Amino acid sequence: MSETSIDSASRSDDGFFERYSSRALIAAVTVSAIAALLVGGWLFPDSIVGTFADVVTSRNTLSSALRLSVPIAFAALGGIFSEKSGVINIGLEGLLIISAFTAIYVTDVTGGVWVGFGGGVLASVLLALLFAVVTIEFRADQIIAGLAVWLIALGLAPFASQVIYGGPNTPTVPTPGSITVPVLADIPFFGALFSASPSVYLLFLAVGLSWYVFERTTFGRWIRASGENPKALDTAGVSVTRVRYAAVLLSGVLSGMGGAALSLDLGQFTGNGPTMVNGKGFIAIVAYLFGNYNPIGAFLSTLLFAGLDAMQTVLQLQGIGVPRQLIRITPFVVVIVVLALVGRTRIPEAAGEHYESGEE
Amino acid sequence: MSVRDRGRAVLERLVGASATERILISTAALVLSILVGAVLVLIAGRMTTCTANEAVYYFGTGFCYDPIVVFDRLFLGALGDPFSGGWSPDGQFSVTLRETTLLLFTGLSVALAFRAGIFNIGTQGQMVVGALATALGVLWVSPLVSGVVGTVLLVPFGIVVGAVFGGLYGAIPGLLKAYADANEVITTIMLNFIATGVALYLVSGAFKDPESAANQTVPLPEYAQFPTVLFGGRQDFSLIALAFGILAIGGLYYLLEHTAFGYDVRTSGIQPDAAEYGGVDAARTIVASLTLSGALGGIAGAMYVMMVLGTFQTGFPDYGFDGITVSILAGNNPLGVGIAALLFGVLKSGTTVVQFATDVPPQLVGVLRGLIILFVAMPEFFRLIGKRVTDAGSKPVATDGGRPGGEDDE
Repeated sequence: MSETSIDSASRSDDGFFERYSSRALIAAVTVSAIAALLVGGWLFPDSIVGTFADVVTSRNTLSSALRLSVPIAFAALGGIFSEKSGVINIGLEGLLIISAFTAIYVTDVTGGVWVGFGGGVLASVLLALLFAVVTIEFRADQIIAGLAVWLIALGLAPFASQVIYGGPNTPTVPTPGSITVPVLADIPFFGALFSASPSVYLLFLAVGLSWYVFERTTFGRWIRASGENPKALDTAGVSVTRVRYAAVLLSGVLSGMGGAALSLDLGQFTGNGPTMVNGKGFIAIVAYLFGNYNPIGAFLSTLLFAGLDAMQTVLQLQGIGVPRQLIRITPFVVVIVVLALVGRTRIPEAAGEHYESGEE
Repeated sequence: MSVRDRGRAVLERLVGASATERILISTAALVLSILVGAVLVLIAGRMTTCTANEAVYYFGTGFCYDPIVVFDRLFLGALGDPFSGGWSPDGQFSVTLRETTLLLFTGLSVALAFRAGIFNIGTQGQMVVGALATALGVLWVSPLVSGVVGTVLLVPFGIVVGAVFGGLYGAIPGLLKAYADANEVITTIMLNFIATGVALYLVSGAFKDPESAANQTVPLPEYAQFPTVLFGGRQDFSLIALAFGILAIGGLYYLLEHTAFGYDVRTSGIQPDAAEYGGVDAARTIVASLTLSGALGGIAGAMYVMMVLGTFQTGFPDYGFDGITVSILAGNNPLGVGIAALLFGVLKSGTTVVQFATDVPPQLVGVLRGLIILFVAMPEFFRLIGKRVTDAGSKPVATDGGRPGGEDDE
């Protein structure tokens, strides 16, 4: 065992520079592409480049990119907590699905949007608790258990909707509306940051808080140690099991906020096929891998994916002739391209492994 | 710890469990999922509305759905009610066999990749690609032949087309994993979404049947579909397809256990470093096993088009995800896949009977699918229960997780 771990450590060291450079490369390419687009659009406002530049600088693009970021970024933050603690949570998609449905159901029953939001978060936490018990207590394989969480939610939400509402889609409920900061909201382009759904502000808060927890608190250090070197944490007298439970439950809270915000902002849950969540939980995983487990990095890479998605919506409104069905798959294609370029990401040393404390 | 090492650890654990133990765990998981499903049906019965005399009463509380009726319909209904007289193979039983046939192929697809240490979540997408390719390929060729000759030529042709395109689609995550180190779990899931999206684009545009409101291709001619033998054909089931599925089980078993390639696959799955040291070309094995896995998924798609639907339509059922359940339930053993596919075929076919009889939505099977995977993934849970039941103190063996050879902690 020791040989293999040395081996894998040295291999990941090799990959470090490659990975770092490809990450930088992608960032550089993105920035220069946008710059070229803006210059081109400024020079030739009537060409297709001009239209693209208009779209990129449009305030609508930014505001819908932010809106689309919400579920992905929340789930990505949740995934960071869980995976940093050593539990790979591939069930983020399932957590988003279950919270999206429950939020609408509770809102429908109680009439309170924020009560519904809380209900959604609670449902996600309960499912995350199940995942935690199964992986931490019963040592289930994390990937398989995560798949199970996804598939359970994928079945349960439309099942419940069918039972309660007689169809996979729920009726519509009131949405929380948007919060507008006076004056600041009138700034061109960046004004979109100040006139958005409450969930967008919650997301900013969550990104900042998550960063703070990891960088500045003892709990954040425990989480990192639990994923990198659980034995050391155990020796220091901190229970690895408890830290992992806390981290997985936190991933439930954060994903729950994302899922609840997703459905409540639209006022409806749609449960056909892959449901309204439609892979956002998996994109979230790639977002935090690409963001190198840094909450801010994960948020920025989410914004990249969501920005592409937002651009396609705006482009459609302008009648650019790329078929809708094909544009819809761009985020998925981008995810694959990013993964192919970034390749192996250095996951926490002990992620995926069960930790057995020496006690008993 | 690399993903590979982790995969190896999983497989060691799965392979390490003895066959008997694995059968016990799978059975226990199945029973437990069904019990949880029953509780869920009861809860759902409280949440929906029905008249007082439709309701059943347990523990002094009324429920709209009766779990006993549900499971009676689920199992006996799926088998075509063998105990109530008048059983005919043409009833629900042939639906069960039809589902079994499709699940055989998706289950084998997942199992093969699993044995190589690869999680192929992309069987669904590989199946969609194979199905679409089959539908278009057969449509393109079908005017050239007709009648019995047409069937004899077109059905194998369709299967080959499905296998080739499914295999090529499976090769993409294989190449990405082998040469770019991209995690196959994520890439295959993304490729599922891409397959569905591209299929929707093609079938709602260039290849759309102009006479249909649905997004589907022009229906295949009758002679380009699986002939029905013995079974009446009312339920779109062909015994030939099932026979082919059973052949595939035998073929894959032979391939894995008795050929050099199978040896490479198994050793890469269990001990990738040792396999490489022993001269196995790791990259080639990854690409080959994912291609073959994709081909099996593509065949499932071809079967669905040529046996069940007679056309390609969007909104493809989740046989690929069900295949994960089947494979995990079978301990990734090709022979086990046969039994697991039949069990899950019963569940799938039974839920439609349940829906007719009781209004319980067919999405129930989706929940059961997830629960089964969850429970099979936690053998430790059943070992703990087993330990409590069979007197804790006298069995020190159970503490090493039941691994033969154990970890030799002493």
